[in-house]
Amino acid sequence: MTADGPQHRILLVREWDSQTSGSGCCGRLGGEDCDVGHPDTFAHSRSLMEAMGAVYRALRAELPRRTVDITVVDPRNMVWLVPSILRDGRRRGMGPGELWRQLTGGVRNGAIVVDGRALFAHDYENTDDAVDAVLRELATAS
Amino acid sequence: MPAVVVFVAVIAIFALAYRFYSTYLAEKVYALDPDFVTPAHEFEDGVDYVPTNRHVLFGHHFTSIAGAAPIVGPAIAVVWGWLPALLWIVAGTVFAAGVHDTGSLVVSVRNKATNIGTLAQDVINPRSRTLFLAIIFFLLTLVNAVFAIVIGTLFVGNPEAVIPITLEIPLAIFIGQYIRRTNSSALVPSIAGVIVLYAMILVGMAYPIDITGIAEGLGMSARTLWILLLFIYGWIASRIPVWVLLQPRDYINSHQLFIALGVIFLGVLIGMDTIAAPAFNSVGGARNWFPFLFVTIACGAVSGFHSLVSSGTTSKQLDKDTDARYIGYMGSLGEGSLALGAVLATTAGIGIVGLNWGEQYADFGTASETALGNFVQGVAGFASNIGIPISYGTVFAAVVVISFAATTLDTGIRLQRYIIQEIGEIVDSRTLSQNLNLATTLAVVFPLGLALAPAGGDGDTLAFGRLWTLFGTTNQLTAGLALAVIAVWVTRNGRNAMAQIVPLTFLLFMTCWALFINLREFVANRDWLLAPLDLAIFVLAGWLIVEAVLAIRGARADRTAPVESPAEK
Repeated sequence: MTADGPQHRILLVREWDSQTSGSGCCGRLGGEDCDVGHPDTFAHSRSLMEAMGAVYRALRAELPRRTVDITVVDPRNMVWLVPSILRDGRRRGMGPGELWRQLTGGVRNGAIVVDGRALFAHDYENTDDAVDAVLRELATAS
Repeated sequence: MPAVVVFVAVIAIFALAYRFYSTYLAEKVYALDPDFVTPAHEFEDGVDYVPTNRHVLFGHHFTSIAGAAPIVGPAIAVVWGWLPALLWIVAGTVFAAGVHDTGSLVVSVRNKATNIGTLAQDVINPRSRTLFLAIIFFLLTLVNAVFAIVIGTLFVGNPEAVIPITLEIPLAIFIGQYIRRTNSSALVPSIAGVIVLYAMILVGMAYPIDITGIAEGLGMSARTLWILLLFIYGWIASRIPVWVLLQPRDYINSHQLFIALGVIFLGVLIGMDTIAAPAFNSVGGARNWFPFLFVTIACGAVSGFHSLVSSGTTSKQLDKDTDARYIGYMGSLGEGSLALGAVLATTAGIGIVGLNWGEQYADFGTASETALGNFVQGVAGFASNIGIPISYGTVFAAVVVISFAATTLDTGIRLQRYIIQEIGEIVDSRTLSQNLNLATTLAVVFPLGLALAPAGGDGDTLAFGRLWTLFGTTNQLTAGLALAVIAVWVTRNGRNAMAQIVPLTFLLFMTCWALFINLREFVANRDWLLAPLDLAIFVLAGWLIVEAVLAIRGARADRTAPVESPAEK
């Protein structure tokens, strides 16, 4: 991140519950609290989202906003996600091979990416473990 | 006229509109406040309410609103010449869609990220929510009917697309299962999925699937048989969980959206092709551009369904109040750009492949029959400018449109099923509300009947052109309701609501006029399927006008005591 803003960036890559492309302009599924649709429709995705939500809240409670930026990203948003991981990785001086490894790990559904390094995917049985790993990585990156 | 001149001019106008008009809206009309605590912060939970980087949220918002409709509408509407279609796309995007989409987002954010239906109830009155649900019911019925016709028409015209589109279903299911079961990257499988899909085009070209023989054996046309098969598919697809098919297919579709836009605009820039269509065209078939142009191009100029996206998830994730300008207005400009691509494909692109524009758009009936094929051929022409063979580019374009339309169809049937279940709850019918098979069947039967309805008048076998304009009217009514909600909110806050009232009045006037002309035609043709449908939408439009006028007058009377939102009254 820039000198004026947060010094670290954490990306949480997880499903969003709503309908995305394709049906777009004239058909849309609702998720929670929407006019049409049913919450159960997205129960499968929501279980992943809610697990990641616990990690998000724990990290947000632990890390000050002025130094750490936490962004939740849909894994389909490759246009933004891929350059962001590459930019953060390059800033840490990663070579092409390492960048590719972090990129393929970082665009996984459920990945946590700390300053360009991919840490987790999918398994958040223990929120504390995820938070500890992020904090260790932040200490390394500083 | 060189297509590239039109392209550059429209993009320049969009840039100026973003720079100046959206700034006016943000500062003077919506009074965006960088210090306002958005619901994403106020209710931050890491799940639904998440302050999100504006570029990330824009990506989500744009892919949520872009689809097949801004392609189909302009492809038909250029029958009146390229200039009226282009002018409506530009003016509609700048002065209606941008105001509507940004406004829906802002009003929702200022009301705890409430969705537009509930906002209608809170801001206008409780009757408005019923009106909203009724309009959505008709809109979905028409959406399902027209998109089944869209796909059926493209399958008949492009039998090479049948294999890739059919194989896209197991491909998407496989990708979804693979990602979930192996915890693997979404990037590689989804890009691989697109590559496999486009490789399947070669298989489809080698083995085109033409069902004309089977259809004739059954005593129907090939398109009718496709429509029947599509509703059977829609019934099944709308019953299975979204994560099995719908979500993984969106991985593929999200790539296709950007690939298609890239092919069109690169083709225009490299090819330097000339627009083959006249600027204005007199049309046979008793269809005048005034008012039908304004309900033929709905999405791409202004679409009411965008208010559902803006006030659904987008408003829950807006980081700063001031980001609404970028996400809402720029999202509208993105949709307008897709419509611009459709206009260029059907007026300049088809010239590259040697089609005679005058023959393809001889009258309204011909235009509505050939529009989709014209778009497909036009994109193939642009693809040839960047080195892709026309034969391949034709199937590629058909695959893109069918992929979008198929997702709309099964999503639309699923939504229609929800609404039927809600109606079941309202009338206290457990059978209707809890029997999913019955509700889904009902959600299929009515649009199926519409899709197969005879057109009457001009002797055509299907009523696609008329159904499409009815779809446009209901979409514009949804936009009208959202604009009314926004206008009332702006007025109550003591600011000038002319930016909403002008497009609202324009849309309702054109919609009612088109509905009235349609109604006369349907009655004259003794079309007793479409006439009652048209009449019902006409009544909804009248109801909306009454509610909008009463609400805005009431809001003006309340101006002496402005409030920030109904929740704060």
